[in-house]
Amino acid sequence: MNIRAFFAILLCKLLRGLSRLLHRGGTAMPGRWALRICPSLPALLARDLKIVAITGTNGKTTSSRIIEEAFSRAGLNYLANRSGANLASGITTELVMNSSLTGRMKKEYAVLECDERASSALFGQLKPQVIVVTNLFRDQLDRYGEVTHTLENIRTAIQGAPEATLCLNADCSLTSSLALDLPNPVVWFGIEKGAMPSRPLPEISDATHCIRCKTAYEYDYVSYGHLGGFRCPHCGYRRHPADVAVTEVVEQRMDGSSILLSLRGEKHLVNVNLPAVYNIYNAAGAVAAVTAMGLPAETAIQALGSFQCGFGRMEQFDLGQAGAKMMLVKNPAGCNQVIEFLQNVKEPFVLAVFLNDRGADGTDVSWIWDADFEGLQALGGRLTEVIVSGDRAGDMRVRMKYAGIPDGRIRVERDYARLVDWIAGQEKPVFLMPTYTAMLELRQAVIHKVGGQEFWEK
Amino acid sequence: MELKICHMYPDVLNLYGDRGNVLCMQRRLQWRGIDAAVTKLPIGSAGSLAGYDLVFIGGGQDFEQQVLLEDLHRGKDREIRAAVEDGIPFLTICGGYQMLGHYYETYDGKRCDFIGAVDLVTIGSKKRMIGNYKFRCGQESGGSLVVGFENHSGMTRLGSSVKPLGTVLAGYGNNGEDGTEGVRYQNVFGTYSHGPLLPKNPELCDHILLTALQRKYGRAELQPLDDAAEIAAHDEVAARI
Repeated sequence: MNIRAFFAILLCKLLRGLSRLLHRGGTAMPGRWALRICPSLPALLARDLKIVAITGTNGKTTSSRIIEEAFSRAGLNYLANRSGANLASGITTELVMNSSLTGRMKKEYAVLECDERASSALFGQLKPQVIVVTNLFRDQLDRYGEVTHTLENIRTAIQGAPEATLCLNADCSLTSSLALDLPNPVVWFGIEKGAMPSRPLPEISDATHCIRCKTAYEYDYVSYGHLGGFRCPHCGYRRHPADVAVTEVVEQRMDGSSILLSLRGEKHLVNVNLPAVYNIYNAAGAVAAVTAMGLPAETAIQALGSFQCGFGRMEQFDLGQAGAKMMLVKNPAGCNQVIEFLQNVKEPFVLAVFLNDRGADGTDVSWIWDADFEGLQALGGRLTEVIVSGDRAGDMRVRMKYAGIPDGRIRVERDYARLVDWIAGQEKPVFLMPTYTAMLELRQAVIHKVGGQEFWEK
Repeated sequence: MELKICHMYPDVLNLYGDRGNVLCMQRRLQWRGIDAAVTKLPIGSAGSLAGYDLVFIGGGQDFEQQVLLEDLHRGKDREIRAAVEDGIPFLTICGGYQMLGHYYETYDGKRCDFIGAVDLVTIGSKKRMIGNYKFRCGQESGGSLVVGFENHSGMTRLGSSVKPLGTVLAGYGNNGEDGTEGVRYQNVFGTYSHGPLLPKNPELCDHILLTALQRKYGRAELQPLDDAAEIAAHDEVAARI
């Protein structure tokens, strides 16, 4: 080991210690400094690790938690960047905190969530055994640019790890195009035709035209967003059959789903411990990854029924008489899935939406107009109260008004502590929809009230 | 009364929240008892623009640009030029705004022919002009203060025969240099304020609707609405920029 790496590790550990003394997370900053001193540090530390890397637009965190649960059930000695710090800095911090001063790793395996933009520099260093690409949707245009640019980033990233097994979403025409010109072995996951009722392609689809020849796609079925049985009538590019295939969505509940999962021909009835269709995809992708790592399918399937995600992803809090559920939203595709979930709530409830426009949320809030808040109208009287909050509460109030919620029924409340106190006195269930930075603050306010763990303690 | 609104290329020009503008126009007409029929004209659809009272064109990704240009050059470019000269009001945003001009020249000198309905050209630059911004509309466009979000690297230069939509107060506007934002020509309103421009700028929305109603019915008025939510959101953003 060279002297630069030694000092990088030392500094990283010191900065982390200092952060914790100051009651801060210190999840990204120490790694940022370490990388400045020794840019090749991740490669050095990852040398003997067996890594699963998870990237894509939506579902990275949930997929990582399922994979972790499987690793933990299998008794593997692993590390994971659980705090959501998924840039090179956060991943480096996590690696350093699991290594000795001389760079010897204390763990054998790693579950690493990688930002879809940061991955380009990382995969070449980490050389993961398995790379999961969950999906690709338009997301925070001001940060990421067009979705095809993100796709190119990921493609370049994977070129740095030609040996890695890819777990690709077969139903996403953008994601699955990665297999067109990469030599990596691929395990496909997806939801089969007829597994659930097909829905119309949404008005705003993030991939209307063939990634190869720019002809408009045709669809056999749509599961959500642009995901489904796509095919190009011109060049023949089409959905690849799935190896890990959801053949039937048996039941969708408020706390999870039951699905029939076909693994290379063998069928399993599986319980997924989080609700909504997008988590069924996360489940299938995680099973693909866990089995690609050589663990038994049984372990992956048990993990689906027992994993806990937390951190604002359909996270349930004992707040108010009927509880509060926090559902992070970041972009139209994910937001539409949450709205669809709300449409299935049978009892009257309160909805609070928190819109921030800080760096990690995306500074451009136009995306709220692409999300189908009009879908809330279908709830009728079940939606008893709408609260808007966050730095851009005003924009959210206007969006709700134009979505058909009378302005008189929309309440603006910017003070999280006061809002949490109010929720604590509610008899009805409360659903909280925050963007990323709003989630961090709101979660702290909720935890302050009801107890729980800070994000870096999970 | 009724306005027939045409939403051109909603399938590819829908980059971020553009449909919010169409929704906003529709609602603000309906709240006043005026019918609003929205027709979507996706890629490949035929038909004349002559029957519409208002045309909306949004912004798009580079990825679909080639598909779009092929469709335009199959005759829609002629249709659009005729409609503009006929005085049909147009609201065009970002990519849709650039498209009305003569051409787009990329940073490395490749030229892409556009519709040529409005005297303006756009030159690609290395700088990304991005962020919240605000501008003051000219008197002929109602004179209101507009807040929005811009995200473009193209620098637009206006020809001598057209006016800007407004004057930049904070941000970049057409090119970050001459203080102009957007374009006004005949009844065309073009702007870089991408996404949902109209919901937070109800004055501008009503000015465009009134332009369309007056062209169709000679005389028209719009009853005032309760814009408390819209004005609050507008002022909140205006104060931050």
